[in-house]
Amino acid sequence: MIRSLALLTLAAAACANPDGQPRTYPDSDLVLAVGNGARMGCSCLFVMNMNEQYCREWVKASPDVAKVTFDVGKKRVEASAFVSWAATARWVDERHGCVLE
Amino acid sequence: MCANRAVFALCVLAAHAQAQVCPPGDATFPDGDWPSRPVQGKAAEVAALEKYAFEISGGLYGRQGLHTNAVVVIHRGVLVYEKYARGFGPSNRHLSWSVAKSISSALVGVAVERGVVSLDDSICVHLAEYAGQDVCRITVRDTITFGTGLDWAEEYENGKRQTSSVLPLFFGSGHRDQLRHILTHRFAAAPGTQWRYSTADAQLAAAVAKRALTPSLGADPFWPALFDPIGMREVVVEEDALGTPLGGSSFYATPREFAKFGYLFLKGGCWKGRRLLPDGWVAQSATPSAVFVSGAPEGETRPSGYAWWLGRPVPERGVPSRWPDAPEDTYAAQGYWGQRIIVVPSEELVIVRTGDDRQEPLNTNDLVKHVLPVLR
Repeated sequence: MIRSLALLTLAAAACANPDGQPRTYPDSDLVLAVGNGARMGCSCLFVMNMNEQYCREWVKASPDVAKVTFDVGKKRVEASAFVSWAATARWVDERHGCVLE
Repeated sequence: MCANRAVFALCVLAAHAQAQVCPPGDATFPDGDWPSRPVQGKAAEVAALEKYAFEISGGLYGRQGLHTNAVVVIHRGVLVYEKYARGFGPSNRHLSWSVAKSISSALVGVAVERGVVSLDDSICVHLAEYAGQDVCRITVRDTITFGTGLDWAEEYENGKRQTSSVLPLFFGSGHRDQLRHILTHRFAAAPGTQWRYSTADAQLAAAVAKRALTPSLGADPFWPALFDPIGMREVVVEEDALGTPLGGSSFYATPREFAKFGYLFLKGGCWKGRRLLPDGWVAQSATPSAVFVSGAPEGETRPSGYAWWLGRPVPERGVPSRWPDAPEDTYAAQGYWGQRIIVVPSEELVIVRTGDDRQEPLNTNDLVKHVLPVLR
């Protein structure tokens, strides 16, 4: 049921073009939400060196659907939504911070 | 005296050499960390600044109102005021957001000074994999003046998400190969004819600078070229999976380090007697670009130079001073959620502010207005 709703959201998003603008992108809100959660969470924790509580608040975006998991040992952050959508970011090194995989 | 051709050539060379000279380094350049001398006898003025900048409405993690994480003030080469909040301290790097655009522009300047980039170069001179394509009409100058003409929609999470060109770049289908994402956009106008604020342009600028500097300085050229000489030792430049720097958005540094970048501009592009930016680069950075003057949309009131925002008026466009309570020579690097590096040459002043203003960002005019009484 949740997946069906999410797919409907995706389809609606893909078709929406209220201003007749020429270009839309294939990224649904869910894709963007998990990408945001993973990458921003990784940078917050491992580049800005803030704590998890701060970073969880910092990455909140609309729609607030991403569940963010911090793996401090492996310096990776995963964000997921509705089972089927997930993204992972990993810390690279001291100069280059995090990258979304 | 310079009538004879040979003598004339020598005169030109001499004038060029003179233009390149920086004042000798002096004690006003921070050697490592900033010298610190907190302002004295200004309790009321400091209280007013802090009431403006640091008083939080809507809770610690609220999304309304100002949420300042740091303010650092450098006056005449000395750290005179510094305050942190919301869990941040002097050692925490902060996300630059679009402050990165001004830094990327400077990195192009460094490459110009080193003779490996010309502003009139096609970007394809440096991004050779795109040679022969229509995007080669874009020049390096276009990338630092918001003049590429690419049909780019600078929308964020509170805007139209599915037509935003930015969100896929950061978090979606464009994130792995950001150059490709950018350079597959069609043109809305011929390069150099239309001013349009764009993260894409700054990403291209940073990519060009990196490619141009790498042969002489190695795989991470921004550090030996700029960051190491001015002591930005903790700076982080995030990249996509292919190593293209996210030069429009994702530099991280401590507020004191961001202040060093501002101070480089305050000092005309020189650092301790060494010229890092070309002679005249800072002046051009703080002058409305030709493409802004001729190609900004009707009603655009935010003049920019080389990816710096300017307080000065632009009479030929009927644009008044953007920050009326700040000196007219004020210019600033500005980023989303209220990130600022503000340079006020007439006051020998650099102000850095980091924050998390999600709805209404800090107003540069109001911050300068509150800082000046602390110094006077």
